Amino acid sequence: MTPLLTAENLVKQYPVRGGMFAEKRILTAVAGIDLELYPGETLGLAGESGCGKSTVARLLTGLTPPTSGSIKYEGRELARMSKAELAQYRKEVQMVFQDPFSSLNPRMRVAEILGEPLEIHRIGDAAGRRDKVAELLRRVGLSPEHMMRFPHEFSGGQRQRIGIARALAVSPRLIIADEPVSALDLSIQAQIINLLQDVKKDLGLSFLFITHDLSVLRHLSDRVAIMYLGRIVETGSRDQVLNRPLHPYTEALLSAIPSLDPKKRTRHVIAKGELPSPVAPPSGCPFHPRCPYAQPVCSEKRPELLEKVPGQRAACHFSEEIFLKEAK
Amino acid sequence: MPALLEITGLRTEFRLKSGVLKAVRGVDLTVEPGETLALVGESGCGKSITAASVLRLVPPPGRIVAGSIRFKGEDLLALSEERMREIRGNRIAMVFQDPMTSLNPVFTVGFQVAEGLRIHRGLSAQGAEREAVELLTQVGIPAATDRVKDYPHQLSGGMRQRVMIAMALACGPELVIADEPTTALDVTIQAQILELLDRLMAEKQMGLILITHNLGIVAERAHRTAIMYAGEIVESAATAELFANPLHPYTKGLLASLPEFGTPGEKLATFAGGVPDLRGDLAGCPFRERCPIGDDACSRETIQMREVAPGHLVRCRKVS
Ligand SMILES: Nc1ncnc2c1ncn2[C@@H]1O[C@H](COP(=O)(O)OP(=O)(O)OP(=O)(O)O)[C@@H](O)[C@H]1O
Ligand SMILES: Nc1ncnc2c1ncn2[C@@H]1O[C@H](COP(=O)(O)OP(=O)(O)O)[C@@H](O)[C@H]1O
Ligand code: SF4
Ligand code: SF4
Ligand SMILES: [Mg+2]
Ligand SMILES: [Mg+2]
Repeated sequence: MTPLLTAENLVKQYPVRGGMFAEKRILTAVAGIDLELYPGETLGLAGESGCGKSTVARLLTGLTPPTSGSIKYEGRELARMSKAELAQYRKEVQMVFQDPFSSLNPRMRVAEILGEPLEIHRIGDAAGRRDKVAELLRRVGLSPEHMMRFPHEFSGGQRQRIGIARALAVSPRLIIADEPVSALDLSIQAQIINLLQDVKKDLGLSFLFITHDLSVLRHLSDRVAIMYLGRIVETGSRDQVLNRPLHPYTEALLSAIPSLDPKKRTRHVIAKGELPSPVAPPSGCPFHPRCPYAQPVCSEKRPELLEKVPGQRAACHFSEEIFLKEAK
Repeated sequence: MPALLEITGLRTEFRLKSGVLKAVRGVDLTVEPGETLALVGESGCGKSITAASVLRLVPPPGRIVAGSIRFKGEDLLALSEERMREIRGNRIAMVFQDPMTSLNPVFTVGFQVAEGLRIHRGLSAQGAEREAVELLTQVGIPAATDRVKDYPHQLSGGMRQRVMIAMALACGPELVIADEPTTALDVTIQAQILELLDRLMAEKQMGLILITHNLGIVAERAHRTAIMYAGEIVESAATAELFANPLHPYTKGLLASLPEFGTPGEKLATFAGGVPDLRGDLAGCPFRERCPIGDDACSRETIQMREVAPGHLVRCRKVS
């Protein structure tokens, strides 16, 4: 199968100022990542705050130009697309945001919020659009009677439903969802997770699902990619990465999740310290200052993201020794 | 011996233009020395206002209208504001979710940790500064001698939360109330902070009220757990008992809806709707609208908390 979307060696840097008199420095938010997204699949992207997840999302939607690297959609390079092709891309690749409070225009009624993308992409006439909006509202579990209301008249969960309806309005093929349930209450999270699942099944969409909650990641993803300091450090199928991680960072993330199941409550492998600054990333393996397994070579040589077992790649010099020894 | 903290029949209300909002609607809770009590519930259910009530820091137009709060037998609601100030930050300390709003941006963190020591323990400026370095080291801040000179914005979220914990512990409190202390942090940092709180609580035999909506944290860290819904405690028990044998339909639903218990790719269990409006009177059971087993009588009767097994209390007429 050919991928729907491919990113190659994607880099995004920002110039930043340190202190008051400090010289300009370069912050590398995304430090060269490769991604492939296949039709109908959900790729889950996880990692600590500030590791570059949202930046990847913005690069892939074309909202931000990359510093270098390429993005291909159905084999066509984004940077070389004609205006018409780009418009088509923006229609087919939609975004759902974390914060259902700030991502909807407070002065627009629901009918306008959902009608606007239809108008922009010249879909249907006025009456047709009205029907489409009603259908969208039903699709996300709201009622067409909600059409004339403003966003503030809805709860957080309902607003997120509107955000999802807006993404679905123009019949996208890929949805990039950046922490779509993180701001929601527990009993509401499950409703939205189910809705996303339904939408994906019924419409056969591809998803890039960004979250820092690994139990949500496990629930929704087919494949998983773990990011650390602007790089992907591990990727593979959901079960591979989450059941038998091959990178010490993935292991630390998994063991830091407080578990409800007393049997799963083995002692935590605690990652020491904090995410280093992306302005001055550590030498060698970016995880080495926090890694419980670090060896001298780890601060000298950066490990490549390599296939360790079929379908599962990890960027660690010692994956085999740490995780695969007893399996043999 | 009286409990470390005993809250009975606490009611806290806000008189708003749109009506009286009953944020805390008859809460009973006890905490023993060395015990961690988790207070769990969705946003808006009254967790923070319960905590603020204990410290008598309910923001206006909020007011405690009924109940008693006994701290080692002494009724906090009957104390003068001056006596209360001696207790606040000294014998009962608070850690908030967002350290940025409770740390003062114009003072160094060292100064802020030392301030409590000077006020409550009468230490000299130098003594307080030395003690502050000691405390910051204890909570895992590397190179604390240098870090005391930093301003809050120069620290990461995790570091700021450590400073908050150092400030809370500065005067050796007997009770700490931590309101979502790790909600804004990453899981790896969260694990570090919770480990730290655990260690300090055990070492110093302090009581801890841990407010959170993360059930995993509760399961791992709390001795006892109280589930709050719409201003009421609806179920409370020893944590292991509560997770093994949840009885209230809300607790059951909440646990069933967690992705951790779902099958990947399958639907999660949900309940319909959202929390009720807390303005005005809620007749009957506040969970009625969302309850899968409720009936008409649930909307009429006042539902009492009942002990259904030793130490396991439930507010539901259908649980026997
Ligand atoms: N416009 C910008 N200018 C400068 N730095 C930026 C900009 N956008 C992002 N960054 C930096 O790039 C890094 C990655 O940020 P990004 O928002 O992608 O992280 P994230 O993984 O989405 O984090 P979170 O989980 O907190 O949402 C961070 O260090 C951030 O401060
Ligand atoms: N300053 C305030 N003014 C008016 N209402 C408030 C205020 N603070 C809290 N409330 C209301 O009191 C109820 C309980 O709030 P809170 O204790 O903060 O909930 P939680 O901490 O459980 O999320 C909510 O309905 C909230 O809207
Ligand atoms: S390369 Fe070394 S430091 Fe990096 S994750 Fe592997 S063992 Fe740890
Ligand atoms: S009292 Fe009735 S409505 Fe309330 S939780 Fe019990 S069964 Fe449900
Ligand atoms: Mg982000
Ligand atoms: Mg709160």
